[in-house]
Amino acid sequence: MEIIESVVNGTPVLTLRGRLDGIAAPAVEEKVEALLPTTPRMVFDCSGLEYASSAGLRVFLATAKKLKTAGGRCGFAALTPSLREIFDISGFLDVLEVHENLESATA
Amino acid sequence: MQQLTFTEEIVLLALDDKTGAQLPLPVTALGYGLAGAVLADLAMAGKIDTDAQQLTVLDPSPTGDPLLDPWLALITAETNPRSVAYWLSVLADRRQEIEQPALDRLIARGILKRQDKKILWVIGLRRYPTIDGHERTEVRTRLGQLILGEDLPDPRDATLLSLLRGCRLTDNIFDGPEFSARDQRLATLAKMDLVGREVAVATTEAIAALSAAMIASVPHM
Repeated sequence: MEIIESVVNGTPVLTLRGRLDGIAAPAVEEKVEALLPTTPRMVFDCSGLEYASSAGLRVFLATAKKLKTAGGRCGFAALTPSLREIFDISGFLDVLEVHENLESATA
Repeated sequence: MQQLTFTEEIVLLALDDKTGAQLPLPVTALGYGLAGAVLADLAMAGKIDTDAQQLTVLDPSPTGDPLLDPWLALITAETNPRSVAYWLSVLADRRQEIEQPALDRLIARGILKRQDKKILWVIGLRRYPTIDGHERTEVRTRLGQLILGEDLPDPRDATLLSLLRGCRLTDNIFDGPEFSARDQRLATLAKMDLVGREVAVATTEAIAALSAAMIASVPHM
């Protein structure tokens, strides 16, 4: 899976492409852990993310929890239809900050 | 104290605080709950991963925990891809082999004690009263606050709540009107872990099958 780090409108963005499974999850976690001390806000651009396993979902939830506990926010932008379905089944749509696109997530 | 595993937490929370007897649960529910706890422990240890279709072994090397390693070896030895539901069924059938070592460890940790009694001088009754209720109180308080509040759970708490609800233990642990009013919140939190969701499905199906069998066994009037 591909992880691209950028800053959009002053907000750190991690763009994820491919499949976020138990093999890929530690690399995303590592990027997140490096960013967390530097920012109260983070966005995952999920426009190229086709799949997330349980391990992937745990990284998302843990990141959102850590940022919220620190008084920050974590956004999830541009979910693909397959990822939206996984978020829906897992109840993530009800509790996480999900945006239609990267622009609204970083506004 | 070292953090309890999901398996130990489910075993502990399934016991009555005072008497040490198992809380009233539907038949097979605790078996599925413990099976789910083993899978959740292996997932948290980075040994397996799951999705709606199958369970995947990420790392077959032992965890070093004798409560988990026999099951990791069993799963690793399977050559065909299998679903979470399949492994829940396999492990639930071996509930005693999961539950007894977990009880023994909780005794070794000084949390429970073993108590053997006789009823009518003949029938043996083994119970596990609590010595140190700190762990149980702490986890109940933490999860209770999560249900009653609006905080995001961390993945570990989401998994534990999902497992507890899946095997119907939340009905015993979180009773009272304040929790009844938060049923939707609990349902949302319990959806967040795939293994816990599958435990709920397996428990519900087992109860339905048992009910159908009981109805079928009643002689027609």
